[in-house]
Amino acid sequence: MSEKRKYKKRYCKYCESKVDFMDYKDAGSLRFSLSERYKIMPRRLTGNCKRHQDMITIVIKRARAAALVPYTVTRKTVVSAPFENLR
Amino acid sequence: MRHYENLVIVKPTLTAEEIQANIQAIEDIITSNGGEIATTNPMGMRKLAYPINKNERGYYHVIYYSVAPSAITEIERRFRINEELLRFVTIKYDTNREIAAWNHLVSKAKKAAEAPAKTEAPVAKEEAPEAEVPATEAPATEEAAAE
Repeated sequence: MSEKRKYKKRYCKYCESKVDFMDYKDAGSLRFSLSERYKIMPRRLTGNCKRHQDMITIVIKRARAAALVPYTVTRKTVVSAPFENLR
Repeated sequence: MRHYENLVIVKPTLTAEEIQANIQAIEDIITSNGGEIATTNPMGMRKLAYPINKNERGYYHVIYYSVAPSAITEIERRFRINEELLRFVTIKYDTNREIAAWNHLVSKAKKAAEAPAKTEAPVAKEEAPEAEVPATEAPATEEAAAE
């Protein structure tokens, strides 16, 4: 690695805390992998590993079906403080 | 027998007794199809993330049970008939790791049910014990978004 690294080294937060199972009902814990418009954050930005990214996508989609997390945030439904309902 | 979890959302326009009667009917559907209910977790009235059939709120109730896999289609068919049900989500717990998680969730829900005096507001306080278990309580570093 003679070239200088352009970005900070990414690491998987879920690996670090040894997460084996995620509960879709615990919507507050999904915030890390959601953008402020409730899109699923890509792996290149969060640094999640493939395994945990697969887990979190399933869990987020379940939470969306259960109306715990919105599918979309449009201009009409956008709120000034996102995630306030997820606590 | 396989482990399952069902989350049901009951219409908020009903009275408290009607909601309880509906939940009782839902549990009867499961037991009459050969299911064994391990425990239930009433999450209470919550605001929905998006309106369902023009309802802004809903009464959440989670049922943990085990049943033969063939009975699930019948249970879901009966759920669809019930018009007081806004939404239901059925989750299968199949692998060893998921079954361990299921057992953990059941024991946690039982513990919460045994101490009802403290958890009068189930939605707000249930977050606290849940925090250590399922996922990193990420301290909201938005640095990833700020790229």
